[in-house]
Amino acid sequence: MTAMDTGERRRTGEARPLITELIDETTVESVAQEAWISLVGEEELLVPLPGEPVTDPVSSWVDVVGPWTGSVVLTTGRRTAEELTRALLREHSPEVLEDEDVADAFGEIANVVGGNVKAALPGSSGLSLPDVGEAPAVRNPEDVCRADLLWRGQPISISVQGALPPLPAH
Amino acid sequence: MRALVIDDSRAMRRIVSGILEGLGYETQQAGHGREGLDVLEGGWLPELVCVDWNMPVMDGLQYVSAVRSNPAWRSMTIMMVTSESEHTQIVRALAAGAHEYVIKPFTADAIRDKLALLGLLPQEVVL
Repeated sequence: MTAMDTGERRRTGEARPLITELIDETTVESVAQEAWISLVGEEELLVPLPGEPVTDPVSSWVDVVGPWTGSVVLTTGRRTAEELTRALLREHSPEVLEDEDVADAFGEIANVVGGNVKAALPGSSGLSLPDVGEAPAVRNPEDVCRADLLWRGQPISISVQGALPPLPAH
Repeated sequence: MRALVIDDSRAMRRIVSGILEGLGYETQQAGHGREGLDVLEGGWLPELVCVDWNMPVMDGLQYVSAVRSNPAWRSMTIMMVTSESEHTQIVRALAAGAHEYVIKPFTADAIRDKLALLGLLPQEVVL
């Protein structure tokens, strides 16, 4: 007997989870806070409040590839990224920070936050090397979990965002 | 005692090296696994290697396998220091020959505790 192709299997195979079905903003905040305490300093708190829009933004991110595929993107102002770099390097911080120093340190924070967000997701996933620059575009506004935080009064956002556009409506 | 710190992030190399130097280690740094092998091939043989997982050119797992395949380097203790925290990845690293596994983010105390377990705290720190 030949099974009739109703298209049901294809639709089922296309199903993919949205990030909001897998983690919530509180988990992202908690991961970020743990990273901050360890990397930036024990007294360094992230306050879950949105700040003013950043005028000179810089982003660092890692890609996660697995049952859910997307990016974990940190965005803040360039001055704040420099301050973060100095906090991370502490006594090893050079007097004059090069762009490379900021990219390296801010990228490593994305790596640590992204690695721990990945660990909170179901199944096995791969993690890319960090990248720094202009944030990747949001492909599907429904596939985003975003935490808006303040560090030393300056805004930092962490966006866990899907890499794929929305599925076409049936 | 000597330690080699391998990580593609200079910031992380400085942090890990700073912790180890505070415990009395003499350290060298490398930016990826291949550079880490170059240090060993140059004759600088450490008691401890701290190695990240995700790196360009040669990743941490490849590095561990390469070190373990050379009988002259088998006495070195390898500790992976990485943001890879999946259980299957930890098992892979230990199976390849790593002795310990530290997940980023970590504290200086976490590194010290792992070294104490491995018997790799310099004597003046133990006392």
